[in-house]
Amino acid sequence: MAESRRPRVAALALAVGLVLADSSIVVLALPEIYRELDTSVSGVTWVLVSFNLVIALAAVPAALVARRVGPARTAAVGLAIFAGAGLACGLADELSTLIVARCVQALGGAAAVTAALELLPATVGSERRAATVWAAAGATGAALGPAVGGLLTELVSWQSIFLLQVPLALAAAVPILAVAKHEAATRVIEAEVRSTGRPHLWANLALAMVSAAIAAALFLLVLLLIEGWRLSPIEAAAVVSAMPLAAILGSRLAERVGDERSRAAAGAILVSGGLAGLAFLPKATIALTLPPQVLVGFGLALVLSALTETALGGRAPQAIHGGWTISSRHAGVVIGLLLLTPIFTADIEEQRHDAINAGTAVILDSPVNPLLKIDLAEKVSERLDEERGKVPTIGPAFEPKPDDSSQRAEVDQLQSELQDQLDRGATHAFSTSFLLAALLGLIALFPIGLSRRVDL
Amino acid sequence: MSERTGNLSGKALILGSIVAALLLVGAYLAAGGSSYEPKQVQDPCKPRPWSDPQTLGQIANQFTISALDGAACQLGVTRETLALALTTLERRERFEERYGIDDEKLARAIRAGLVRAVDDAEEAGALSPLIAVPLRQAVQRIPLEQAIEIINDAQGFLGDAQGFLGPAQGVIEQLLPGGLGGLGLP
Repeated sequence: MAESRRPRVAALALAVGLVLADSSIVVLALPEIYRELDTSVSGVTWVLVSFNLVIALAAVPAALVARRVGPARTAAVGLAIFAGAGLACGLADELSTLIVARCVQALGGAAAVTAALELLPATVGSERRAATVWAAAGATGAALGPAVGGLLTELVSWQSIFLLQVPLALAAAVPILAVAKHEAATRVIEAEVRSTGRPHLWANLALAMVSAAIAAALFLLVLLLIEGWRLSPIEAAAVVSAMPLAAILGSRLAERVGDERSRAAAGAILVSGGLAGLAFLPKATIALTLPPQVLVGFGLALVLSALTETALGGRAPQAIHGGWTISSRHAGVVIGLLLLTPIFTADIEEQRHDAINAGTAVILDSPVNPLLKIDLAEKVSERLDEERGKVPTIGPAFEPKPDDSSQRAEVDQLQSELQDQLDRGATHAFSTSFLLAALLGLIALFPIGLSRRVDL
Repeated sequence: MSERTGNLSGKALILGSIVAALLLVGAYLAAGGSSYEPKQVQDPCKPRPWSDPQTLGQIANQFTISALDGAACQLGVTRETLALALTTLERRERFEERYGIDDEKLARAIRAGLVRAVDDAEEAGALSPLIAVPLRQAVQRIPLEQAIEIINDAQGFLGDAQGFLGPAQGVIEQLLPGGLGGLGLP
């Protein structure tokens, strides 16, 4: 590759990675946003839903605009909009402002990503190489997104996630601007948009379903870890990194299988199996989330690459069909979140009630001194009031511990049993949603069975 | 689009995926994954046998549980919901509003619960009939705040009752040839 082209390729890859990371980067920040902006779980879900919905709706029109007015100009303007809206997100002090800014950010992001796919072939020399760079940048962004988001949320703030995107997006826009000037000066823009042919219905439908299942896996697991098991964002980021790490290993496996339908089917089965594993966790232990995450990670590496290749194979221009795949994937994320959010929020409330009842039963039935028991019940109920709607941290309710060693042992035992009941409630609250997400992955097997790649 | 070596059979990959998924789900189910949920609370109207309490503290524990069961059964709520409702005035008001209960209805239920607790204690041999009879009479007339106080401090209540009625035991013991040993007052 020519030296002069390297900054441009890097800029395009950064743009794609940045935008596609944005659909998942805030997942680990959601509990913090939920607390700071004093909203509900359903409300905060819209920080994710709005971004993915707008990308889903805008991807194909953005690809058409890129082909009409010039991909470099579209990408540069898109990145500028993305940066400006990112600044607005970082400064938002209300949920509604944040959601509106996220919508604008998604518009800019859709323009940048689809235009990048149009720009890359000329920059790297071939359409195939361009698709590889584009897919790799997107996968890297999506894989790193949650971990980076978790780190920034804990070390700085949730706002820093968006503020950091501003200089990065502008840095990506600078090399592209040079192409945009050239594009305008030489009038190389095609006057007509080529006929694109129909998008691959079955592959895109399967992509939507699998994306719904994968988004649900990440979103639900993060909520379970932070809100249910009380992990910090940084700890949760470390735990959910198992999924992208497994995806990297899975992509090696994907390279060894030529048949796209088999890869897609195997991937969907692994994603569903992993999700079903998360639905049947036998204990609230981090280690037990790892095998299901490995299955989901391997599965997503197989299924996403296979379906994207099927959807793009034999179809031109790539930007338009790339737009359709982006649209399908983000529509799937939206469907997954909208379908599962009301179910798990209702389940969380019900399980919270059951866990509190079970915990109170544990306190009442314990052999602890009655006066100490009443005192504990009062303190635990205070914790419940303080942390309304969430699984409370009960440790402070048990302080100070009694001086008498036998009483202290009884109190320790009681604390452990009470924590167990709360953990059971928090974990069980997500079971139905994980199972439904697994079902979505299995349903995707039908369109996968009907999908067939068309080669030119 | 892409050139792949294709040295791994598609069927083998699908089969391997099915086996991996089934193994994981099977292992988690075998380890109790389908029953990992909060324990179900007991119906307060069902009798809850006393477990041979020895000390005043243990009797007070059982007494409180019986009283809460009796009151919760009358109100149609769980004993746990009622116990949490009685921890603070604010929670009690929220509970009354949620279940459409006024102070009078709550007082009646708690008195009924206390009567059940005295009955259970007597039946378990933890309370002498000589103490149980006047206690039963007393708890049927007490105001709400005091009734709640008894549930919150059953140990103090039972201790006071024993201290107050204790001298009467001595008189009866002199009148009865076998004394009060068989009546089970600890």
